[in-house]
Amino acid sequence: MEPTTAPTITTDRAGDARLISVVVPVVERTDDLVAVYHAFAGELDRRPEDYEFLFVFDGRYTPPPELVALSRDTGRIKLLRFVREFGETAALRLGIERSRGDLILTLPAYFQVLPQGVALLLEAVEGGADMAVANRSPRLDSWLNRAQSRVFHSIVGGVSEQRFHDMACGVRVMKRSVAETLPLYGDLHRFIPALALREGFRVQEVSVPQHPNDARMRVYRPGVYFRRLLDIAAFFFLAKFTEKPLRFFGLVGSIFLGGGGLLSLVLLVERVEGQGIANRPALLLAVLLVALGVQLIGLGLVGEIIVHLRAPHRRAYRVRERT
Amino acid sequence: MVSEPSLSVVAPLFNESENVRPLVDWIGQALESYAGSYEMILVDDGSDDDTWAQVCAVAGPQVRGLRLGRNVGQTAAMMAGFDHARGSVVVSLDGDLQNDPRDIPALIAKLDEGYDLVCGWRQKRQDKLLLRKVPSWVANRIIRRLTGVPITDNGCSLKAYRRDLLSRVALYAEQHRFIPALSASVGARIAEMPVRHHARRFGESKYGISRTVKVLIDLLTLKMITTFRSRPLVGFALAAMPALGVAFLFGMLWVFSWTQFGPEKASALVFPGAALLAVGVALYLFMLGLVAEVALSSERVGTNDIPTAAEIR
Repeated sequence: MEPTTAPTITTDRAGDARLISVVVPVVERTDDLVAVYHAFAGELDRRPEDYEFLFVFDGRYTPPPELVALSRDTGRIKLLRFVREFGETAALRLGIERSRGDLILTLPAYFQVLPQGVALLLEAVEGGADMAVANRSPRLDSWLNRAQSRVFHSIVGGVSEQRFHDMACGVRVMKRSVAETLPLYGDLHRFIPALALREGFRVQEVSVPQHPNDARMRVYRPGVYFRRLLDIAAFFFLAKFTEKPLRFFGLVGSIFLGGGGLLSLVLLVERVEGQGIANRPALLLAVLLVALGVQLIGLGLVGEIIVHLRAPHRRAYRVRERT
Repeated sequence: MVSEPSLSVVAPLFNESENVRPLVDWIGQALESYAGSYEMILVDDGSDDDTWAQVCAVAGPQVRGLRLGRNVGQTAAMMAGFDHARGSVVVSLDGDLQNDPRDIPALIAKLDEGYDLVCGWRQKRQDKLLLRKVPSWVANRIIRRLTGVPITDNGCSLKAYRRDLLSRVALYAEQHRFIPALSASVGARIAEMPVRHHARRFGESKYGISRTVKVLIDLLTLKMITTFRSRPLVGFALAAMPALGVAFLFGMLWVFSWTQFGPEKASALVFPGAALLAVGVALYLFMLGLVAEVALSSERVGTNDIPTAAEIR
């Protein structure tokens, strides 16, 4: 059961009592959790704000007994667990939904940055940013992981207005309003800074020293890389064409349709000149291109109608200030 | 705070810092003799320069500023202004001083004759011929043919709207140039009147010719959503008709070649192949139309798509 006693709120400055909710999605390992809690709680103890921890365990993992005991003792740790695996994005969303803080700090279940870095992030948010994301620097990783990361960020940087350097870092501070507005689903947690930027929030990247434990060489199975590619494709489409699907499908579709039409024309001319075309692979290609082109344009049009009917309910802008 | 002005003037601004003060002064002068109360809404569309500082400097009870989180483009910026407008009549104009606020009273007078939307029609347009005027002329002609809405200058930002209309037309993407067509599709009464147009004084134009291709694709969208919004299946079925015609043609050719040359001639395969392809395409389009109908039936809940109408008595 969740603790029913509300955590005592320390009022440092009058009327400025704030609560920081620390959301920890546990999707990889559980051996560091207690150490992570102690390290970051120790850091937060030095601040005027009160805090709560929410650990969200994905289906495969169970809370270690020490953490359960700790939760019973302190009363400021909430433990949540999915019955089956739903992934990091879902875990983040659940944590955010169950949290009550004005500020939300997300942490991975292991050490990515030194705990002192949290202060820098909170400072950035106090300084006016809506979200502050950690950029582990200097990076202690292997050259391979750094190269991977660079490729990833240069692709994403192509569609977002601001260039990020470490979106894979799970250490972020955001205001509650940001957390509740982000379109988080699927595997989009990797794009949180870019998504916040698209929603019109101010996102600041803060250099935070990397934890030595985090500097392992990570090589993933090919399937993981494939899924990353799909994530990037999904994000790219989301960023560029959510409001105008036909811009994408229409362009690709008309290229196919035009190519197919042109090829058919060439074949027709050749046929009129007396050449047989029935046994030519080019005929198959032409046919395929025409059919694909029509299908893509049709799909784009369906997308447009759906977007059009959604339009009364959504706005592309966010008002930052008004006079 | 001025309570409920009767007129709201909305101007989107993107990197127009030098234009802010002249614009406000100019609108103020133009509306000096305006009978009711009015407000200006200046929307800073995520400018990189000090446009927002300029807006804050001129802001007051009559001049309200909105600063958007990031640059979202003219359509969304105008939408932001419309959403915050309180007047029963709303006028939009460009923030770059190319529209003349002195035309506003005439637009409003026209609106009061019983229209929901009055569009400006820029006379002696002061833009580059090849880059701006020719593409725009072509686009306007196509829009007119496609939608049947007799507006000469869709691209002019200077327009007057009745607020009821704006609450029915949700603009997104780059649809500000389709406002007349979209308004007509919800039953608005539309008029057009000549307005003045000036060359840019400060800053630079944010348009380029690369937009033309995008506009062409957007036109297809426009046709779809204005004509077939409420019955997408009809649109897709109509698109499937030519494919069925082609299928029929090739089917006939097949029958003809079969009877003439017999089944052993290899090239005869081309005809049944083409016929089947065309049937496939037609079937696919029809199915897509069904998908669209299904998707829409749930999306429609809660949207107001009853056409507007004039109260005759």
